[in-house]
Amino acid sequence: MSDLPIVENPVEAETVPEEPQPASGRTARRVAVIVILTLVLLFPLIARSVFPSYNYVMQLGIVLLMWIAMSSSWNIIGGFAGYISLGHAVFYAIGGYVSGMILIHWGLSPFLTAPLAGLAAVAFGVVAGLITLRTRGPAFIISTIALLFLTLLFLDNWEFVGGTDGVNLPLASFPVEWLKAPFYYAMALGAIGSVYLSHRVAHSKFGLGLRAISQDETKAEVAGINTRAYKVTAFALSAFFIGSVGAIWGYTLTYLRPVAFLAIAIAARMVLMAIIGGRGTVAGPVVGAVLIFAVDEFAVRQFGETSLNIVVVGVLLLVVLLFFPLGVVGSLRNSGRLPAFLDWD
Amino acid sequence: MALLEVKEVVAGYGAGPDILTGVSVTIEEGTSYCIVGPNGAGKSTLLRAIAGILEPRSGEIVFQGSKVNGLRPDQMLAAGVCFVPQDPSLFPTMTVRENLAMGAYLVPDRQLIRQRLDLVFEAFPALADRQSQNAGTLSGGEQQMVALGRSLMIEPKVLMIDEPSLGLAPMVADLIFERIRGFGALGITVVLVEQNAVKGLESSDWGIVLDLGSKEFEGPADGILADPRIRELYLGKQLARKEHLL
Amino acid sequence: MISLLQVLILGLLLGGVYALMASGLTLLFGVMRIVNLAHAALILVAAYITLLLFDRFGLDPILSALVTMPVMFGLGVGLYLLLFPRIEGSHRYVEMTVLLTFGVALIVEGLLAFIFTGIFRQARPGYVMDAFRFPIGDSQLFVPTGQLYAMAVSLTLLAGLWVFLQLTRTGRAIRATTQNRAAAQIVGINVRRISALAFGVGLALAGASGSLVSFIFPFFPSKHWQWIALMLALIVLGGMGSIKGAVLGALILAVAAAFVSDTFGATWSPIAFYLALFLILLVRPQGFFGAKMRL
Repeated sequence: MSDLPIVENPVEAETVPEEPQPASGRTARRVAVIVILTLVLLFPLIARSVFPSYNYVMQLGIVLLMWIAMSSSWNIIGGFAGYISLGHAVFYAIGGYVSGMILIHWGLSPFLTAPLAGLAAVAFGVVAGLITLRTRGPAFIISTIALLFLTLLFLDNWEFVGGTDGVNLPLASFPVEWLKAPFYYAMALGAIGSVYLSHRVAHSKFGLGLRAISQDETKAEVAGINTRAYKVTAFALSAFFIGSVGAIWGYTLTYLRPVAFLAIAIAARMVLMAIIGGRGTVAGPVVGAVLIFAVDEFAVRQFGETSLNIVVVGVLLLVVLLFFPLGVVGSLRNSGRLPAFLDWD
Repeated sequence: MALLEVKEVVAGYGAGPDILTGVSVTIEEGTSYCIVGPNGAGKSTLLRAIAGILEPRSGEIVFQGSKVNGLRPDQMLAAGVCFVPQDPSLFPTMTVRENLAMGAYLVPDRQLIRQRLDLVFEAFPALADRQSQNAGTLSGGEQQMVALGRSLMIEPKVLMIDEPSLGLAPMVADLIFERIRGFGALGITVVLVEQNAVKGLESSDWGIVLDLGSKEFEGPADGILADPRIRELYLGKQLARKEHLL
Repeated sequence: MISLLQVLILGLLLGGVYALMASGLTLLFGVMRIVNLAHAALILVAAYITLLLFDRFGLDPILSALVTMPVMFGLGVGLYLLLFPRIEGSHRYVEMTVLLTFGVALIVEGLLAFIFTGIFRQARPGYVMDAFRFPIGDSQLFVPTGQLYAMAVSLTLLAGLWVFLQLTRTGRAIRATTQNRAAAQIVGINVRRISALAFGVGLALAGASGSLVSFIFPFFPSKHWQWIALMLALIVLGGMGSIKGAVLGALILAVAAAFVSDTFGATWSPIAFYLALFLILLVRPQGFFGAKMRL
């Protein structure tokens, strides 16, 4: 720990001068962001008047926002720094378990303790990062897989949190017709917060350092970047919103169970979303989350609730990696066809 | 007919800029060549393009009358064009003998392989003593000998050697150059790339000066060495440094 | 004393099979720098094929390796040619291989789950429940017959692999490509062809492993994630790319896991693998036996 000068609030470090952008582009982006935010905030009201299956639609919204929060957060270490973690579901589980156990023992609502759960995930991220980030490339990926299984093993065998069976959580006491709304807004907060964080990182000196690491770590080191501190910070930072939405998700599930949080498929999904949308861009993980979410829904509609939807996701991943390795946003930007409303960097 | 002809070849790596900007070179059988020029002139790139490791972006490479660009390295080797890269590129945990035998990977006849092994050990007696030692444990000079010996195993028509003296002590380098001069007698046409222009040209019949990806000048090697104009323009620093050391 | 010996025997028996499972994985990394996250999923494919042959036609699971090996070999060559030539020379090649094979693993898992559903399966030939028993004093040592057979087949195949790599021309070309890809190209090895072949050989080993695993462990489509985590741990321990290291790593870790299981209960046994992995990555990122892990 001692050799790690903590970058104090790296996001607020001196911002990089922005490239001059055409004013029209900036306006289009502003308008797009305002429209999207308004839609997100008004969605429950709209859904109520438009869809008969209100609760179902709200649940879809909750899930989508959660994935946006997770893939955007993952992107900080996986996209900007280029360190692909397949173990980020660990933070999700920590968030869910911390808030869930507090709810059981002290009766504090996860809506209040979600930020705390996020901080617990960050703390764990610092420790785990200090260990796993000693390695690079494939060794790092492997160590994150091991991290996930190691955590799973502990939760499975820890009687205090119910072992493999898990524990049930008390239900939230909201009026039934608005039951989904608080969860929805909590997830929305997580999604907006993580995208905003990602944007701030992208425009900071810290973010520049992460990109340098992703390009050529040795050169970044020579250039005077404390790569270890940067990487560990990015790793820990990426844990915050994942832990927070994990807390909320546990509450919507009304139970905690290791496999509900620590499946590698969950870890995989954030990675897929970020890669398909475009690693290392701000809008990419959001676009990826929406796309994968849509494909998933489509697959479920077409084939029913079968395992074929992970086949579709797998095929999609292969196609993107082989033909558009930069993802949707990255590829569009490279060919100069990225619409201004998606250019959030 | 020329043995090997390079016509207006343009080549570069990945999506990067052209390193070779349209180079033409003719290699005649029985003459030995040395390609010289400043760093970044494209000397190694030219050899890699001929060897099939790097596919030219445009232009033509003709070997014994047929067009060969686009062929894979193993196909070029089978045709008789062998390449010894800058780092000796050995198999570190195989023995010296195994490394040499790998040089004859494309030779099916075991009897022939054994005969050629004997020839190589004759040319490099130092290697005979170290046959069963792992190649990774050899000194730089010995590794270079293994690399050269390995290239003899296929009995190539053209042998392209990239910077054989790199990182070697002067005495060892001298020995290597002496051996290379002997390759002509085996019916091998040697094309050498050398930073050490004096040594390289002294060991060759014909010199080719490359700069900025194309041929600037060519002529008899001793003529180039003697020409003060070329020395100053292309070999200046090196020769100056060389003479200073001498 | 007896019980310690018993645990050691059980550990070594399993270790022999883990060694075969991991040998293909480490071969792929050694020759082509491919970290095949789909390796365990493909082992599962072979296990399901074996199960089908056993249930439908009564074919002995060990014998069905004669089917699964060529089938997986063909699948391997095809898979290699389909996926990997495209990404040769790409920035962060090894990571690309991880992600690509991750996609393959998802596809395989989904298809298996679709065809066979998620329930536990296991081939049950007669010898699965048998054991050789050796009375010693009051107690006895027992050696499960099925696992003994599996270990014997596994070691035979590993010996065969060794002979293939050391003594055949193709084997030498594979070793040469492992040691220095550029040099292999220079001596006239068609590295893409050799890579495709090696990928086939790696998957043939996965095929044989699947046939053996089919009657040793109960399996279900998402089981492969646990296996791949174990296998990665042990090839990292053995030094990625080293087959000798993978075998040693498998034996050591399987024995360690057996002792953990004996002391703390079976549910804790995988911890030996994960802790070993972390410890190694912390202390010696290059693994114990292998040379430098080239990233």
